[in-house]
Amino acid sequence: MRNALLSLLLLLPLTAAAQIDASSTTLDAQQELKELRARLDKIEGAPLKASLSAFNPAMGMAIDLAYQHMKNDQGAFQFRAAELNVEAPIDPFLKGWAVITGTSGGTTTVDVEEAALQTTSLPYNLTVTGGRMFAAFGRLVHWHDHELPVTQRPLSIDSFVGGESRADGIEVSYLFPTDTYINATAGMYDKIGADNTRQDPAGLRSLDQFTYLGRLSTYEDIGDDHSVELGVDSAWTPKRFVTGTTNTRKDTWRTLSSVDFTYRYQPTQGGLYQGIVWGTEILQNDERRFDANNNPANRVNAYSGYSYIQAKMGPRLRPGVLVDLAEGLDQARQLTKTYSAFLTYDVSEFQRLRVVYSRQMDNIPGSRQANIVALQWTGVLGHHVHGFRDR
Amino acid sequence: MKFMLTEKTMKNELLALTLLLVAVSLTARAQAAGALRVVATVPDLVDITNRIGGGLVKVDGLAKGAEDIHQVVMRPSFVTKLNKADAVVFLGLSVEHAFLPGLLDVAANPKMRQDPATQGCVGTGCIDTSEGLSVLEKPDTLSRAQGELHPQGNPHYNIGPDQGPLLARNIAKGLSRIDPVHAADYKRNLKEYLAELEPKIALWRKWVAPLKGLKAVSFHKDVCYLGRFTGIDFVDTLELKPGVAPTPTHLEALVREMKEQDIKLIVREQQYDPKVCQWLADQTGAKIAVIGTMANAFPGAETFEKISERNLKALLAAVGKEPS
Repeated sequence: MRNALLSLLLLLPLTAAAQIDASSTTLDAQQELKELRARLDKIEGAPLKASLSAFNPAMGMAIDLAYQHMKNDQGAFQFRAAELNVEAPIDPFLKGWAVITGTSGGTTTVDVEEAALQTTSLPYNLTVTGGRMFAAFGRLVHWHDHELPVTQRPLSIDSFVGGESRADGIEVSYLFPTDTYINATAGMYDKIGADNTRQDPAGLRSLDQFTYLGRLSTYEDIGDDHSVELGVDSAWTPKRFVTGTTNTRKDTWRTLSSVDFTYRYQPTQGGLYQGIVWGTEILQNDERRFDANNNPANRVNAYSGYSYIQAKMGPRLRPGVLVDLAEGLDQARQLTKTYSAFLTYDVSEFQRLRVVYSRQMDNIPGSRQANIVALQWTGVLGHHVHGFRDR
Repeated sequence: MKFMLTEKTMKNELLALTLLLVAVSLTARAQAAGALRVVATVPDLVDITNRIGGGLVKVDGLAKGAEDIHQVVMRPSFVTKLNKADAVVFLGLSVEHAFLPGLLDVAANPKMRQDPATQGCVGTGCIDTSEGLSVLEKPDTLSRAQGELHPQGNPHYNIGPDQGPLLARNIAKGLSRIDPVHAADYKRNLKEYLAELEPKIALWRKWVAPLKGLKAVSFHKDVCYLGRFTGIDFVDTLELKPGVAPTPTHLEALVREMKEQDIKLIVREQQYDPKVCQWLADQTGAKIAVIGTMANAFPGAETFEKISERNLKALLAAVGKEPS
């Protein structure tokens, strides 16, 4: 009896403790559940944190620097460009982008390189682009400087087009609904070429003083690893009004035409790590030239072109060579030849180093050959998209 | 006479055969014309979309499978495929950033447009298979100093063998939304596919039991979903940071780390440099397992099931185990 009482006395506190433990566990679980509910409500019920900035455009900036060592053993560091890109959808039917560039050409200038609107939902495979854009002329012509395979824009396109193919106007492109890629573009612009001084960019003009572009490009896969692309285009300016000693608009039409060909060897194994790109473009400029006093001179039909091969050796290294030939726009017999060898090293997707050696010569009596060594360093901040046109 | 009869019979048979071929061809064309045209970005999605869609879809793929998904080349022939497509099936989480946004930008297909702000796809034809994914390795801070980060988290979930059902469910959901008339068919095909896949996943879980707790390094930071399935603890990468090539200093530190932690497994994704992995193996005595990051990365591994199985066998073989 005594033992039983003793056992009861000993067990009572244990039983009570167990009951307290059980009730406290239940309380803990309830408390935990309550806290979890509160946290879930916070997550599900809270407004999206990014909502205040959700409609801001995607932004990025490319910074392009170089050191160039040129003839007479003289060189210079060059701030080539700081290019700010902004891009965003405007509504379900339209997107817009702008490229604002600061460059140093003696004095630093800030310029709007592109500011364009583009439709995204037109039927019949049509896309309309309007504003300031890089006209879809040629192959490398509409690439921004820092995207080119060499540091300096090849003279063949630089002198014939007048820098990049910057143009104020409107473009309509049509993707053929075929299995083979065929794209047609028609455009109407004030002029084509950022440095093209033939037309006053701000002045009014009659319809025959605009520049009209037509381009057709196609592409064909040859097996899994090889492909070829072909493009033909012509930019036609019916008339140009030239004020000089003799004012004229007679016989001032101009055509700038080009044919471009690209061959790519891109083995599927290894993605972009290996491969070869061979790009060639031939341009023809047919126009009536004017002398320094704007007096009419002869019509000149001049040709230019470049051809380059760039190999991809692993994920980082891209060596290549480029040959560039450019006749003089005033005298087709004057030929400037540039031979370049370049090596690009992609430190990462957003940083690139490049060294270029170029040897330039022409057939003008008395002129000297020029040897140019350039070191280029390019970095991309923020938003960066792999564009189809610049691939 | 007998010969003439035979000749006549042969002519009739040839005529019948020709008519049959024409009929089959016309039927096939009619079926293809009526089928939903789908583009899938990677072979895993091509495989599963074919399984879910059956004869109701015609699927075209973009990446072949052996590429680095971050560097898939934009071919204009992809543009024409996307232009005609009713739907595009993609992994999402910006893993297709190298090619999909650029292609959508020029494909002129109002059903699927590029969203420059998110590098994603917007429109009724977009089927994002990452919906509902429990995303791993969400970055704490978004800075390119941390390498080529994916802002929404690690997007390489198709390497996880247990992610097949998620891919399949999202594809079925997407196809049913775009083609509600055949929703019951897609549901039935999904059920059949899952009935085949889920037992395999259960079997694979048994296979990988010996891998649990094993420490390893990979070339790229793309194996976290595989790590979660196998129990392998991936402690570091050969790349300095995601997308940044290995540097000598980093590799030396990695050798020290592997020796200190007794790490005996190197996982090389087949598209990455074998030489540097071999050098690391020579330095540390670790074994190399070569895996694919997409279906079709190796001959004979064209489907999600086959590549998952092959990857697990490669991991087991590297540590001297066999599937049990």
